[in-house]
This record gives sequence, structure tokens and C-alpha cells, in this order.
Amino acid sequence: MSENRFAHLLLAPAGLWLALLFAVPLGIVVAVSLGTTDPIYQAVYGWHPENYADVFDPLFTPVLLRSVGFALATVVLCLLIGYPIAYYIARFGGRWKTLLIALVVLPFLVNYLVRTYAWVAILSDEGLVNGIVTDAGLSENGVRFLNTPWAVIGGLVYGYLAFMILPLYAALDRMDPALIEAGKDLYGSRWQTFWHVTWPAAFQGVAAGCVLVFLPAVGDFISAQLLGGADTYMVGNLIQQQFLEAANWPFGAALTIVMMAFLLIWLSIYLRSAARASREATA
Amino acid sequence: MGEGAEFDVGPSANRGDLVSTEGWAERVPLARRRPRRRRGRDFDRPVFLRVFFIVFMFFTFAPIVIVALFSFNSTPSLQNFTGFSTQWYDEFFSNVGLRESLVASIEIALVTMVVATVLGTTLAFGLVRARSRLAQSSNVLMLIPLVTPEIVAGTSALLLFAQIGIDLSLLTIMIAHITFSISFVTVIVRARLSALNREVEEAALDLGATRMQTLRLIVLPALWPAIIASALLIFALSFDDFVISFFTTGESPTPLPVQIYSSIRFGVTPTINAIGTSMLVISFLILAVAVALPRLLGRREEENVLIGRETA
Repeated sequence: MSENRFAHLLLAPAGLWLALLFAVPLGIVVAVSLGTTDPIYQAVYGWHPENYADVFDPLFTPVLLRSVGFALATVVLCLLIGYPIAYYIARFGGRWKTLLIALVVLPFLVNYLVRTYAWVAILSDEGLVNGIVTDAGLSENGVRFLNTPWAVIGGLVYGYLAFMILPLYAALDRMDPALIEAGKDLYGSRWQTFWHVTWPAAFQGVAAGCVLVFLPAVGDFISAQLLGGADTYMVGNLIQQQFLEAANWPFGAALTIVMMAFLLIWLSIYLRSAARASREATA
Repeated sequence: MGEGAEFDVGPSANRGDLVSTEGWAERVPLARRRPRRRRGRDFDRPVFLRVFFIVFMFFTFAPIVIVALFSFNSTPSLQNFTGFSTQWYDEFFSNVGLRESLVASIEIALVTMVVATVLGTTLAFGLVRARSRLAQSSNVLMLIPLVTPEIVAGTSALLLFAQIGIDLSLLTIMIAHITFSISFVTVIVRARLSALNREVEEAALDLGATRMQTLRLIVLPALWPAIIASALLIFALSFDDFVISFFTTGESPTPLPVQIYSSIRFGVTPTINAIGTSMLVISFLILAVAVALPRLLGRREEENVLIGRETA
């Protein structure tokens, strides 16, 4: 058997698995999104593009906008928190670099659900912080933390920060610190040195981190479910409801497709810019 | 130390001082400190960054530590730690439903680990060695699951099982987990595989080894660290997964994360702390094995210089 024939034989099992159990189901989602439900709420195929019009119905647009808004706020906060952390480790970590980055990543290996639950236990009305607040006499009835937009965004930041720190660290660690010294020797101000030296070196890491945080944050429903309430629901909650509670699968499928398409647009923009950057780097 | 000290003190220092006087010892640390002090005025401001880092570490670790601490509380309070007890762990392990969930989660993770590692590794071989348009599209097909949001993975799996009429059970969770684990294995194993030295394999073939013998005696030994690392990663991911399980789970037993989710919706209890802490311990144990095992295997492999990554 030729080498190439043998290689194609190895390709077959997993290739078929992914084709049948990943690609085909995505096709089914598209098909169902154009279908409708029969009187007993079973999804039936059909041609009902109005499902997509429903996605942009004024009833649901606030949810879509909120998802994007929360995800963007999460990205910005992750960048503001993650950049100094990554920079500190890359530049001043010295021989502790590996240990420090391991310390940063360790909490993120704990189940996301458990970590979100931890914040519920701390911030809920009967939680630890409110216990301290009422014991200290700061407030009679405690402070309302949960069910606010910031609780949901905070949960998302806490959930996905590692996806920002790791690519940032990878980019900043590659940068030669002598470049910063050189910038200063040439009388560059702090800001100029940052803008002309550090930022271009960090940019690919920033872009990768933003995409890696944005993708899961848009589709998240755990944070809004546990830390928020009905008026902080995101598109993930809506999809989850359509599938598991409302039994309106065609509408849920249409929401899924719209979200996936939206994310793929951003992903392809990022991949294109990353490919261009690596071409320029090698040229 | 002598040479380094001479260099650090710089041209302004008196050479005679360096050799003869007793001030030598103090002067070296002083000189060493100089660049660090200069950095303090820089834009980087390590003092600010260090404080920021410490505060950050506090906020990332505190919630986890608090969950673990209150899982040992003697009263159901989440506000006051009144004393040490293991009653919430007793409650976890004596509850039949929760115990079944734990067993179900482990079963799912084990099956997913084995099947996904085998499929992902063969796919990695195929992708590195096959040259055709089919191989290119397989590569794309392998990469898309990595960027698919979990909720899309969950809904598409649910729709598939509904369409072909399979009742939701542990089996459907396993199938969905395997589908979204293959790519992780492939990416990790492929990185290792493409760093291998092909000439060693060709030499084995020239010496009369069959293709299977070459695979078993030459290629696989070099790949074990990557295969084991990805297998453990898959176990951890599958064991921790909530979203995909949530969409593909049957009535009972449900995997542990799904069980946690439904209990949280009825309010927070110390039993959830105990379950969460147990899951955390299992995750960290797997991580420790994942870090330690490839090193143990890797050391033996390094003796075999021919297969080393660096020779490629």
C-alpha cells in the first residue's frame, strides 16, 4: 500500500465521525431553523424564513444587543486587567515566569460552573459579603449584587480572563526588552515608547485574546443564569429556553445560526489579519 | 562572582577598590540594585504592577478558597464559619442520586477519553501524511469544532439525536463529547508528529521493517507524551463539561455538572460546596498527572536521541 493511500485510510474514521456527527448536525440546525412546529410542538421541516425575521423582532433585539454589549464590556475589562498581569510576568517575572503563569492559569482549570457558583455564594443576599456588610452595620438589609448587569459581566470576566492573559503573555514574552530601552535612549516618552514599541509587539496577542474572550462570552448563558436574572438574559439564555423550555426548536435554531454567523464574521476578520501579519513577519 | 561584580560596578569604579578594600561586598549589591531603581521611574512601574498582580491573585483565588473552606463548615451558613465538619461530604456521598451522577461523569469522561484519543491520533497521522484535496477539507472540518461556541455544539447535537430518534442518555452525551474532543487531540498530537524526524522512519523501512512495525517501534514511542497529555486533557474537559451535557443528557443519571446546575437554581447549599470542592480536587489531580507523566516518559525518550524533537 502506498504511503498516501495508508494516510487516507487513517484519515477515514475521525473524518467520517466529524462529517456525520458535526457537519451533518450543523446542516440539520439550518434545516430546522427554516421549519415550523406542529400542534404538539414537534419540529417539522418547511420553508419559513420568517423565523429569521423573528430573531430581529423588537421583542428580542434588546437581548441580542445586550449579548454583544456584555461580551464587548467583558473583552475590554479582560484587556484592562489582563494586560498589566501579562506584562508584569513577561517583563519582571524573571526565573519565576513559569510559576507565575501557572498560578494565573490554575484557578481557570476549576470548573466554570463551580467558579460562577462561588460568586453566587459570596455575593448573594445571604452570602459572605452581605454577612460582613450587615455585621459591620454598613447597611440594614445588605447590598444587592446579583441580578445586575455588572454581576453578569463580572462573571464573564472571571470566567474567561485566562483566554486573554495567555496570548498576551505569549506576545509580550517574545518581545525583546532591549527595544523598550532603545526607545527610551532615543528620548521617546513613556507614551511614545508604548505606542511605537510595545503595542505593535503586543498587537497580535491582543487581537487573539479579544477573539478568544469574545467568542465564548457572546454564547455564554451560565453567568446570566446564575448571577443575573430575566432582565440580564443573553442570547445563550434565549436559545437554551427555546430548546429546553419553550419547545420552539425552529426559532432556537434560527437564533443559533444568527449567532454562529455573527461570530464567524469576526473570526474570519481576525484570521485574515493574523495571516497578513505572519506573512509580513516572514517577508 | 568576581567577574560579574567587576562588570556590574562599571567603569566609574576604582579597580584598586575592587581588589583590595573591604567595601567590596557592600558595593556589589548596591551596583546590582541600580538598574532596578531606574526601572522604578519607568512607565512600567514594577511596584504598581506588583501590587496589581497581588490584588488580582487575591480575587481569582478567594472565591475558590471560600467554596472549599465553607464545604467544611459545621452549619449550613455561608456567612460564618462555625467549626470543622465533613457532614456535607457525607451528604454528597450518601445521596444515591449524587453518587450516580459522579459515577456517570467518570464513565462519560473515560469513554470520551479513549475514543477521542484514538480517533484524534489517527486523524493527526492522516493529516500530516496525506496529500490531497480531501485531506485539506478534513483539516478544515477538524478545526471548526475548536471555534464553535459550546451552546451551538449542544443544540446541534440535540437536534441530531432528535432527528434520528435516539433517546437521550449517557450514550448521547458520550457521542457529543467525543465529537468535540477529537480536534483537541489532533492539534496536540499533530504538533508533535510534524516535529518528528522522517529520516529515522525511512531508515527503519529501508532496513526491512513493515509499515506497522515502524509505527509501533519508531513513531508511537516518540508520540506517547503528546498522546497521554491530550488524553488527560480530554478527560478533564469531558468531566468538567456542562453546556454540551446539559443539551444531550437524559433524565437520570445526569452528569455531575448538570446536577450542580439544577441544585444551584434551588438555592445555594453547603453540599454544592462539597461537590464543587471534590470536582476541583479531581481536576487538579488529573492536571498533576498530566504534568508529571509526560516528563517521566519524556526522560526515557530523550535518551533515544534519534527520535528527539530537536533532531527534526
